[in-house]
Amino acid sequence: MRLTATRRRAAFAATAAALALTTTGCLGSSDDGGGGSAGGSDDGVVDILATTDPLVFDGLKSKIEEMADEAGIKVNVQRVDNINQLILTKIQANDAPDIAVIPQPGVIKQIVDRGKAVEITDDIVPADLLSDMTPGTLEAGQIDGKQYGMMISMNVKSLVFYNKQAWDKAGYKAPESLDDLAALGDQIKSDGGTPWCFGIESGAATGWPVTDWFEDLIMRYGGADGYNSWVTHETPFDSDLVKQAADFMEKNVLADGDVPGGRGSISSVAFGDAEDTMWDDKPGCWMLKQGNFIVSADFIPQDVVDNVDERIGVFGFPPAEAGGENPVLGGGDLATLLQDNADAKAVMKMLANVDIGTTAAPDSSFISPHTGFDTSLYPSDLTRQIADVAYKSDAVLFDGSDAMPGEVGAGTFWKEMTAWISEQEDLDTALKNIDDSWPAS
Amino acid sequence: MTSTQTTPAAATPTSKTRKRAASREGQPQKAGWFARIVVFILCFLWIVPVLGLLLTSFRPRDDANESGWWTLFWTPSAWGRMTFDNYSTAIDKGGLGEAFVNSLAITLPATFIPVLVAAFAAYAFTFMDFPGRNFLFLAVVSLLVVPNYIAFVPILRIYGDLQIAGTFPAVWLAHIGFGMSLAIYILRNYMATLPKSLIESAKIDGASHFQTFFRLVLPMSVPALAAFAIFQFLWVWNDLLVALIFIGPGDNAPITVALRNNLMGQAGSGQNLITAGGFLSMVLPIAVFLAMQRFFVRGLTAGAVKG
Amino acid sequence: MLLKILNALITVGVGVAAAVVLYWVLNKLAELLPGRWEDRIKPFLYILPAYAALVFYLVYPAVQTLVFSFANAQSTEWVGLDNYTKLLQSSGFQDTLFNTLLWMAVVPVFTVVLGLAMAVLADRLSPMWESTSKTIIFLPMAISAVGAGTVWGLIYNYRPQGREQIGLQNAIVTALGFDPIVWLQTTEFHLNSFFLMIMLLWAQAGFSMVLLSAAVKGVPEDTLEAARIDGANERAIFFRVVVPQIWGSVITVYVTTLIGVMKIFDIVYVMTNGGFNTNVIGNQFFNELFTNFNNGAAAAIVVLLMIATVPIMWYQVRNFRREESMA
Repeated sequence: MRLTATRRRAAFAATAAALALTTTGCLGSSDDGGGGSAGGSDDGVVDILATTDPLVFDGLKSKIEEMADEAGIKVNVQRVDNINQLILTKIQANDAPDIAVIPQPGVIKQIVDRGKAVEITDDIVPADLLSDMTPGTLEAGQIDGKQYGMMISMNVKSLVFYNKQAWDKAGYKAPESLDDLAALGDQIKSDGGTPWCFGIESGAATGWPVTDWFEDLIMRYGGADGYNSWVTHETPFDSDLVKQAADFMEKNVLADGDVPGGRGSISSVAFGDAEDTMWDDKPGCWMLKQGNFIVSADFIPQDVVDNVDERIGVFGFPPAEAGGENPVLGGGDLATLLQDNADAKAVMKMLANVDIGTTAAPDSSFISPHTGFDTSLYPSDLTRQIADVAYKSDAVLFDGSDAMPGEVGAGTFWKEMTAWISEQEDLDTALKNIDDSWPAS
Repeated sequence: MTSTQTTPAAATPTSKTRKRAASREGQPQKAGWFARIVVFILCFLWIVPVLGLLLTSFRPRDDANESGWWTLFWTPSAWGRMTFDNYSTAIDKGGLGEAFVNSLAITLPATFIPVLVAAFAAYAFTFMDFPGRNFLFLAVVSLLVVPNYIAFVPILRIYGDLQIAGTFPAVWLAHIGFGMSLAIYILRNYMATLPKSLIESAKIDGASHFQTFFRLVLPMSVPALAAFAIFQFLWVWNDLLVALIFIGPGDNAPITVALRNNLMGQAGSGQNLITAGGFLSMVLPIAVFLAMQRFFVRGLTAGAVKG
Repeated sequence: MLLKILNALITVGVGVAAAVVLYWVLNKLAELLPGRWEDRIKPFLYILPAYAALVFYLVYPAVQTLVFSFANAQSTEWVGLDNYTKLLQSSGFQDTLFNTLLWMAVVPVFTVVLGLAMAVLADRLSPMWESTSKTIIFLPMAISAVGAGTVWGLIYNYRPQGREQIGLQNAIVTALGFDPIVWLQTTEFHLNSFFLMIMLLWAQAGFSMVLLSAAVKGVPEDTLEAARIDGANERAIFFRVVVPQIWGSVITVYVTTLIGVMKIFDIVYVMTNGGFNTNVIGNQFFNELFTNFNNGAAAAIVVLLMIATVPIMWYQVRNFRREESMA
């Protein structure tokens, strides 16, 4: 469709090339909505800017286009690599798209603070469309109790992956509580293995995997309330709750023999390389705590990914007490409405539809936040297991570092924890430094 | 560190023969072992990382993850696994075909126009006398330190009002503005080294500034113009931020934006595609550099002076 | 697609022609004026288009930045000098400042020396080898920052002892029997900063080489011959004849690299994001603006950078005076 339009224009423009030059609008193809930077004002096209993983994006895009086409709405769906940095620039310049799909509540808060987001009220997205959302996922998009972000794709982070064949042969069992988990680590060590695959190097974002560990432990020790008060800094970093989490790590993940190469190597091992030796017949390390995105040929050897259900096992990071409160750490992409127009609102309603992920699910790591989603569409048992961890939890709590101010959540939290892990700083100093960096509001 | 070691006694006869040879070939002196070795070492150090990128771009991800690229030299079996997959994926998924054309459409105008505009300004700063000249030139120098990203929000806002955000002229103009201070600075400092007497004599012969500029100064400045043109070409070609802000993803996106937005996943996946994509985007700049090398030949300026 | 190429080519032609016509018209306008005014106005007309671009794209945003540096993160309230005092008092910023000074001290000098060495030495090779060697040094300039990050990842990569190293430096180190080293996290003597500087040097040497090569080629033959006839050896010719004549270009390269280094951010951002005490001003600025969304703090950093260029400008003024006294 685009091709014919271009050809027609080419034929036209060839005869009037000189004219085309002076009318600058023709120099870039601005048919079908033009570039993603076309402002979302009154051009009759709903611009959607997203940053979801490429495969997930392709699936969602085709479904959105299909649904919009049926409704007679023109959409222009584009992906950028890092929307967090781009979107606020565009908003400040009054060049925002109609809808932005943002993975960080902290960024959405910045937009709301500047008064540039439109609240997703009941008459835009009827409540019954969202009635089957996984517990906690709606709250993730709320700023001061009002709904501004609506999750359309979910990540699950409270997961521990293992080498299924070696695991079954050794006869290990998924732990039911944190004490079980600690005991399992000791058992692996006494069997001559190394329990944890752990690397936190990630270039510009080095340190982020530690924050997931802390979040998971804090929500277990402090419950959902304790966790939320820590995310909003009512409970500071320099507190017993955070120290309790650090203590668990020091005893069970950072002690001698817990990771290949020892504690000192953690900060320099790329997070995506950490589990490379896990797939050997005699695993170099046994467990990897990581989000569901890691199950991809980008991080795991191709032959393992090709036989995912035979080779990879997973269990949910256990609750503090067996059978006790069981929150799950998660993340997701939140659709945010930035322009107040009828078409954009109609598209928001489409995004709330449980079927929005039907084309994305079979070919990507997509997990729907809707518990009513047809799980037979997921590509593997592993994905169904991962989805179940979230669907059956008490609540999915959003990744705290993504909700904290950028100075902390994408700054000192990463850096200070890296310094602590690599023993350049003691825990108290690191925690105090993070508290000091929290911006006064 | 830069000259061959010739003892003064031996220098007299040889340097004469050399001089004759030199004036024929346009070379001051033949290279001694010292020059050859230094150049060789530098070239070796400079090309090793590029070689790593090139070889890695042909390796499957698992291979690249398991062993270093240099092991290819002694494990012939790994050669068999080398593949164009990274390239074909990058081109298909990244939509690099159209992006390549977009990059060209952005880069060419954004290279040539600022060179001419800057040359005129540099001429005025060098050969014309006017009040505030030094101050105005220093203002240009101090603007070198201003990072162009402070301009993104205010300029984008104006672009929005003018309805040109997302079009090619939006980036052309931006690159003209962002590249201008360096262009003026480099060209003015080069022009200052041209013999002033020549310009004076042209004036006495009755040539106007306009004529002097086009007939005398511009041809004499070709090496500097060519040098700056290459840099501007490269910066615009490799620019990610300006294109991302003023054009964004979509039909008009250049290679840099397409590579990043279509290939790189949230957690830094797709690195193997970046090697292939990165290499593809290098081809044209290298070709341009090779083509421009003929402008860096000795005697070009001298010839212009005589003619 | 063809249309785009065609448009681009035509734009180059028409754009350049339009620029020429613009200057011709400006020139004619000046010539309409009476003689005395013609000479007075003409220089301003010549710099007018360049200045228009500069004012719109840099001066106006810079002035706005200056204003924002006295306001809060969202530029909604005045906060006086708060942004500056906060910045200068934070211990992190002092480390950042020191690192930036380190970059400024090291990179420009080596860039000039390397570029000059290549320009002079390659000049003596046969044309084919000259072209080849220069192209090799120039190659890295054609790689974008993201690409450079990938390239040097293949050099600096670290894996724990016992696993096969896929970073070249650690492969060499382990082959020699030592333990692998985490290059980018080695803070002793700011070693990791130096490894990042090597990346910039690698990327920038081509810039310096091209400019200095153009200058070296421009040294008139007769001055060299005159020196040779006087019996000077090659070393003396280089230092007494060549260097003084290309000194202006050396300074140009030095100053542009120096200023470029003052605002460097991409290499640091891609490799460490300032972690392990490698932070520099440019990276901090970028993070304040695009990660912390703090317009005020970011603006204050840019203003400090602009103030830091004063010594460079002072040097330029002295240079002008010398040039004028020579002319």
